[in-house]
Amino acid sequence: MPELRKDPIIGRWVIISVERAMRPNDFKVSHAEDGEEDFCPFCEGHEDHTPPEIFAMRRPGSERNKPGWDTRVVPSISGRFTIHGNLERRGIGMYDVMNPIGAHEVIIESPTHYIDISQMDVDKLELALDTAVLRIVDLERDQRFKYCLLFKNHGARAGGSKTTRHVRSQIIATPVTPTRVKEELRGSRIYYQYKERCLFCDIIRQELESGIRVVVDSMHMVAITPFASRFPFEIWILPKKHCADFINIQRDELKDLARVMKIVFSKLYKGLNDPPYNYMLHTAPFRREKRSGYWLTIKEDYHWHIEVTPRITQVAGFEWGSGFYINPTPPEDAAKYLREIDVTI
Amino acid sequence: MSQFRRDPITGRWIIVDITEPKTPETFELHPQTKKGGVCPFCPGNEHMTPPEIEAIRHGNSAPNTPGWMVRVVSNKFPALRIEGNLDRRGIGVYDMCNGVGAHEVIIETPDHYKDLADLSQGEIRNVIFKFRSRSLDLEKDARFRYILIFKNHGAQAGASLEHTHTQLVALPIVPKRVQEELKGAEIYFNYKERCVFCDMIAQEQEDKIRIVSENQNFIAFCPFVPRFAFETWILPKMHDQHFKSIDDRRVDDMAGILKDVLVRIKKVLNDPPYNFIIHTAPIRDGRNEEFHWHLEIMPKLVSVAGFEWGSGFYINPTAPEVAAKYLKDAGI
Repeated sequence: MPELRKDPIIGRWVIISVERAMRPNDFKVSHAEDGEEDFCPFCEGHEDHTPPEIFAMRRPGSERNKPGWDTRVVPSISGRFTIHGNLERRGIGMYDVMNPIGAHEVIIESPTHYIDISQMDVDKLELALDTAVLRIVDLERDQRFKYCLLFKNHGARAGGSKTTRHVRSQIIATPVTPTRVKEELRGSRIYYQYKERCLFCDIIRQELESGIRVVVDSMHMVAITPFASRFPFEIWILPKKHCADFINIQRDELKDLARVMKIVFSKLYKGLNDPPYNYMLHTAPFRREKRSGYWLTIKEDYHWHIEVTPRITQVAGFEWGSGFYINPTPPEDAAKYLREIDVTI
Repeated sequence: MSQFRRDPITGRWIIVDITEPKTPETFELHPQTKKGGVCPFCPGNEHMTPPEIEAIRHGNSAPNTPGWMVRVVSNKFPALRIEGNLDRRGIGVYDMCNGVGAHEVIIETPDHYKDLADLSQGEIRNVIFKFRSRSLDLEKDARFRYILIFKNHGAQAGASLEHTHTQLVALPIVPKRVQEELKGAEIYFNYKERCVFCDMIAQEQEDKIRIVSENQNFIAFCPFVPRFAFETWILPKMHDQHFKSIDDRRVDDMAGILKDVLVRIKKVLNDPPYNFIIHTAPIRDGRNEEFHWHLEIMPKLVSVAGFEWGSGFYINPTAPEVAAKYLKDAGI
């Protein structure tokens, strides 16, 4: 019998095929669509092929937009957002529009042409995460922004570029809180009002106790395959200590996060043959003083985390129409398989 | 230059390029090619599918033999099972229930090499009749709350078999995406005392720039807030929350406009992968009068990436005004 499982945070239902569970070998991970051009604008020495840098972690004595960096942040060339001007919300008949105020930045995570996090050293990965924290802190100062999303598109099927596969993540700051984020905030708030406990903390406790969906249990972080996983081998990484805002992460937590990410992405790379994936950081929105009535308990009820979603199945009409997902691999099987993949870091 | 636009129904924002829209020539398009071979949906292979539930047949050909025009069977690999009870239960902080539901396949034509767009209006009419009769039959099962009819065309849109077909899933719960639309329509109605979809139709008829096709009972337009490039919606002009109540005359018009729009999409975008989904109100629910059923067609031209997944915000490279112009001028 297939199972219908409900995501405890936003109430989304997922159909999990239990009997005809798909094993990693049942998925054909194809790299046919992946590709890149010979010249990579993100490699060290090619700094003049990107827009001028916004920020970089540089080695002593190096100059801006020149070699000698560990991480480098440049504006995205997509040009869909503009940093100048005002929102100017307005109506066109029954419809509402506003100007595309926003920031879109690319965090080049390594000067070397690595194509996946699993190839990076843990201390370099820590610098990349540090860079993300610093950028979010900086973007928060811009009063027009309400949210900042950190994410990665790895592989063509996950929306990655065909120009270069150079390891990088992206940041988009938006003037409105995205609907997906609002849903999570609302869900965790309802739970908090009912139980006076953080839902994510409860999930972590239950997962650590049962152990069947745990992929990595580390000092400060835990990686699990969520109970109502939408996708095969979906993984969430959560801090064990309650915290709503990613930017408040402590140094020892950040070090541990880098280590856990290295393990998780090495397991995915090895176990699923370098699958396309996305990861998204879910963190609390920026809170402005005037909005003190809004999400009053956000600090207590929300818990930042990273969602990693391999793209090895197609999202089809059913999922788009219903918001219901069909997942052919039970998360318990996925976690067991991932636990057993031996990686040395 | 792009623009943020807010969906009047769900409140979802999108970002759409309005000054340098991506045109059909600039998408990487690979027409769907059919490989042929042994196909369980072809006439003569009726034994390869579960027994048929319904069919429209020539003369008096027997069930599960050739001689059919449209054939409905259970999905051989159903996502949900028809037997058993829901048995809702909790496991600590989590909730679950049994995967009870119906999963059926409507085989639209015996011809392996035709797509829905290639069928005649009369043939599509028969397909829509089956959508309706299956909806009416399945809603009698008291365990079900929602009937979802959708099509995956092309492997990239999730089709696992190349022989053209539509799927129907009867679900024991109302899906989240539907609940969001119902709620949005209700909020709008409470404020304006009008249907948000009827208002959209009125505004589109006035603006004209996003209309793709129109006949007596239906209108097709690229919505003001499309998530995907060349997304097109087909709406009945008469307000009704349920697809299942469509009358025969309107089935005719729906077949006509669906064919027209699919042919335009096929021509302009070189037979792209697409999904279409019928959005209708839940069954056995007297409320939802403010809802207005419709069909959404979503060509899969760009991949959905981390930003969309993480935010629920969509970035659309083709403004609907531009998409509508291309589709309208397709010259079919």
